[in-house]
Order: sequence, then structure tokens, then C-alpha cells
Amino acid sequence: MIDYSALLYDPVYAEIGVPATFINGENEVTLTVIDDTRPKVLPAGSAEVRSVGPGAFVRIPELEQNGISRDDWQDASLTFNGRDWTVRSYELRGSPNGEELGEVRFLLKAASDG
Amino acid sequence: MADVREDILARLLVVVAAIPGMRSVHRNNVDISEDQLPAVCVFDADEESDDLQNRPSNSRGMVRMTPEIVIAEKTAGQVGSELTALRRELIRRVLLDTDLNNLVAGSSPRGDGAIRYLGCQTDVGWMRSLHGALRAQFTFKYWLKPDEL
Repeated sequence: MIDYSALLYDPVYAEIGVPATFINGENEVTLTVIDDTRPKVLPAGSAEVRSVGPGAFVRIPELEQNGISRDDWQDASLTFNGRDWTVRSYELRGSPNGEELGEVRFLLKAASDG
Repeated sequence: MADVREDILARLLVVVAAIPGMRSVHRNNVDISEDQLPAVCVFDADEESDDLQNRPSNSRGMVRMTPEIVIAEKTAGQVGSELTALRRELIRRVLLDTDLNNLVAGSSPRGDGAIRYLGCQTDVGWMRSLHGALRAQFTFKYWLKPDEL
């Protein structure tokens, strides 16, 4: 079986990952995330409102190694690339080696009204 | 030349621009960016006539124009309550505006023009923050006078 963590995720995160600070309660750790902020459009009748849908990929093994369980994800603060976000939801991205060795995409909202 | 349709739409833009807190006002702009929010946009209207009688083509007749007004906003608060408050302001200002009522009433030989609120729909979605939009439709019933166009 191919080790996707070693052959895929580790090189990708080493190349395009950026440092992030994850805070939830007394947990404060530094992680490597991939900034996945995407253009997003809200239909509004005949008009469209353009903004972004902020998101970040994180490897689940890295979260686990830092003592962060799924119960800690919701409403956590995540700071990277000079912006402060709050985790409002998430979607799991399984890997061929299993969900626990895959990624999670944190769905973010601005930490302050912006 | 007296184009009641254009007069109504132009006045409607002025009326919605006065809704408190709007950062930008548009007419027929389909592409709004988040830094323009809260925004209000008037979309020119569909029109229909209910005059089906066999009369000369230059006869005056009643038409119904139905413009759409879109209000879009982003919030850190309760988007539903905020949209409801904006809807209340919008309806009140449009239905009670003296100039709009004079335009529809003045177009009619019997003063029977009218403005009616038809309804609204809402859209909400997560972007950088929670965004909401409200689309409202009004009918403006006025007399079309081909000989005055």
C-alpha cells in the first residue's frame, strides 16, 4: 500500500504549506496549513455578490500529534498569512490510507466583522 | 416627452438610496463586491399591459411595471432580523413616497394609478462573513400615453 502521507501530503505541505497558529481555549499550537481561500459568489436575484470563501487544509495526523481532537475544531481561532479566522465548520477529506490519515478542510469566517 | 416609466425608476433609485446604512446604490448592476455592502440595487422592470381591446394603436392604456429591488448585506449579527428591518424600511419608503405616488396617480386621467408590494425572497450564504440578500418586487400601475412619449 502506498503511504500517501509520506509520498503526497508531506511534500505538498512542505512546498505550499504556511505556518498557522491554532487556538482553542488553552490549546495553542503551531500547525502547517494550506491556504484554500476561494472566490465565492452569492446569488441575489438578478445580481451577484462577490467575496471569498476562506478555508484551510490541515493534515489530521498533525492535529492529533498536537493533541487537537475533533471536539476542539469548532470555533477555534486560526491565524495564517496575516489574517485571523474562526473555524465555523469543516469537511473531512479522506485519504486512501483512511480518514484518520487524511486532511480536514476548515471552513472559516472572519474573526472580526470584516 | 413624458416617460413615466423612466421617471418612476429614477425616483425609485433616489428613494432606496435613502435607506439608512446603505454604502452603495446601483441601477442594473449585476456585479457587486463585498466592499460595496450594504448595497441596494434597482433592476429595470418587466412591463405588461392589460389593455386587450381593439383600439387605435396610439390609445392610452394602463400598464403594470414590476421592478425588482435587491438589498445585500454582510453581518456579524443575525442576518434574518437585519434583512427584516431593511425590508420594513424599503416597503415603507416606496409605498409612502409622495413623488412616486404622484407619478402613478398623475399619469392617469382618473388618478387611479397605484403602487403595490408584491413580495420578497431571501438568500443567505457564508462568504468571509455571513451574507444575506433580499429581493423585493413592487408593481407600479400607470397610464402609458404613446402620444406623449
